[in-house]
Amino acid sequence: MQETAATTELKNQEKDSSLGLILSLVLAVCLVISASLGRVDVGLSDIKELIQWMWQGDDGPPLSASAQVFLWVRLPRCLMAALVGTGLAVSGAVYQALFRNPLVSPNILGVSAGCTFGAALGLSLSINILGLVQGLSFAWGLAAVAMSVLLARAIAVKPIIVLVLAGMVVLSFFNAGLMVIKYFADPYDTLPSIIFWIMGSLTRATWSHVMFIAPITLAGLALFLAMGFRLNILSLGDIQSRSLGVVPAPHRRLLIIVSSLIVAATVSVCGQIAWIGLIIPHMARGLAGPRHEKMLPVTALLGAICLVVADTAARSLSTAEIPVGIITALAGAPVFAFLLYKNRKTGWL
Amino acid sequence: MLECRDLGLSYEGVPVLEEISFSMDKGQFYVLLGRNGSGKTSLIHCLNKTAEPDKGQINIMGKNLKEMSPRQIAGKISLVPQEHMDVFPFTVLDVVVMGRAPFLGFTQRPGPKDYDLAAQALAWLNAEFLGSKNFNRISGGERQIALLARALVQSSSILLLDEPCNHLDFNNQFLLLSTIKSLCRTQGLSILAAMHDPNMAALFADQVIMIQDKTIMAKGLVEDIMTPETISILYDTKISPVTLKGRGNLFFPDTIFKGKP
Repeated sequence: MQETAATTELKNQEKDSSLGLILSLVLAVCLVISASLGRVDVGLSDIKELIQWMWQGDDGPPLSASAQVFLWVRLPRCLMAALVGTGLAVSGAVYQALFRNPLVSPNILGVSAGCTFGAALGLSLSINILGLVQGLSFAWGLAAVAMSVLLARAIAVKPIIVLVLAGMVVLSFFNAGLMVIKYFADPYDTLPSIIFWIMGSLTRATWSHVMFIAPITLAGLALFLAMGFRLNILSLGDIQSRSLGVVPAPHRRLLIIVSSLIVAATVSVCGQIAWIGLIIPHMARGLAGPRHEKMLPVTALLGAICLVVADTAARSLSTAEIPVGIITALAGAPVFAFLLYKNRKTGWL
Repeated sequence: MLECRDLGLSYEGVPVLEEISFSMDKGQFYVLLGRNGSGKTSLIHCLNKTAEPDKGQINIMGKNLKEMSPRQIAGKISLVPQEHMDVFPFTVLDVVVMGRAPFLGFTQRPGPKDYDLAAQALAWLNAEFLGSKNFNRISGGERQIALLARALVQSSSILLLDEPCNHLDFNNQFLLLSTIKSLCRTQGLSILAAMHDPNMAALFADQVIMIQDKTIMAKGLVEDIMTPETISILYDTKISPVTLKGRGNLFFPDTIFKGKP
């Protein structure tokens, strides 16, 4: 029996590595296809030209239009889709473990609602300052989480339930604030831009956005991966977690701060992209099992793959681009229904 | 192994426990008896620092509990909670290996050696067959066995059990308590279990601690403490004994001897 447990664990680790490798390859293929699809054809010759240009610097010939589209539009957008998908999916998985609820999404503490309110405020101010909308969105997203946490702390009983309820209060408050802004917004200019922003899109992606989101998402992901086993323990609830030597409060604080930073950063740039944070962790559990040390890498890769595919569909399905938030919402509901049905006997509901 | 002196606990100014003093020795099975709401679970939570007592001192192997980190405490004292369901469908082996948490660093995860220990603990309890099963889909009795295995992986000194027989059928209650008693004897563990049934305590415990009105009403060896008088006072109802051949007494409320209730 002794040997069996160790051998089984080693075999499982090998299986996990092959799953990770397969998903990495799928992501790479999706990125290549996504980067080559669009209004402007981008081929291998453009990539070759780009590599030469990067090698020679300003001394070489100027880039062709298609290579410029690839460098300044397509590439940051594809990387952004992968980063945002990863960030939202892993944050969702962490929130689900912390709140001991598989139906929780990263919006539970009002971060997305706060971000949306901040962005709407920025859009309605009509002040032309670079990064104002994104900055206000990011700041209000974090403020919303801080309000939820402080309210829960003031109530100070049954930390998890009160935190969820405090999140609902803050979420409702910011949704009401958003309605007020929409009501007073100029219906021919500001209101459409607010509505379009809320729908979620990657059209705004630039290299500076990638540079803003990448360190937050990747550092957060590294922390979550390192804390995978601790997340298993935290998902047992406060008393058991504490009795196993893992004090829940500081872990919860750290994980909420990092998850909220990731979600606020992504929503402040892309708007609300629904379902990724809720569904992808479930898909990952179906593939890798419930242990967070195994399912988090799968969640990160699946999140990236799904959003890259959704974004490619968003800009390829029709002549006019569809906001990616609509694609994820349209696909998310039936996929989640299917997952609920498929997993009805596994005991996670 | 464990010494508790003048312990006091209150929630929002309302006293829950007062002047609780007792000690636990190696290889002994202790049972906490008391009415609902008498403070049994609160006492268990104080002993592994999941609740902070206002007064008194707890020493574990000569060390003050207040001076020990949560990890150090978890390495010495393990808790088997009342029946519990996981949110996620972990396997029994996954649940048992979580008992290694106090011995792993912040970023560490259990390795093959930890899984070996988990499998070994299941083997001690004759429950190897449970290893690959979904924890949420096994019976209540099997779940208690799995949590007991986790407690064994976690600590080789002191085990706290919060109403271990809850939701267990008649036979499983006997099986679980026999296993607990044999663990005390074979592994030298010191075990404290909060229980509702004085007869189970009479059959299996070495020593009994009775809690009434927030404090200890009586404590000592089963044969000294488990009398109709003490149990009558503890549960506030008249109790009569029934003598078992060679196994001491069992206790029942007087009402059952006076016709059907």
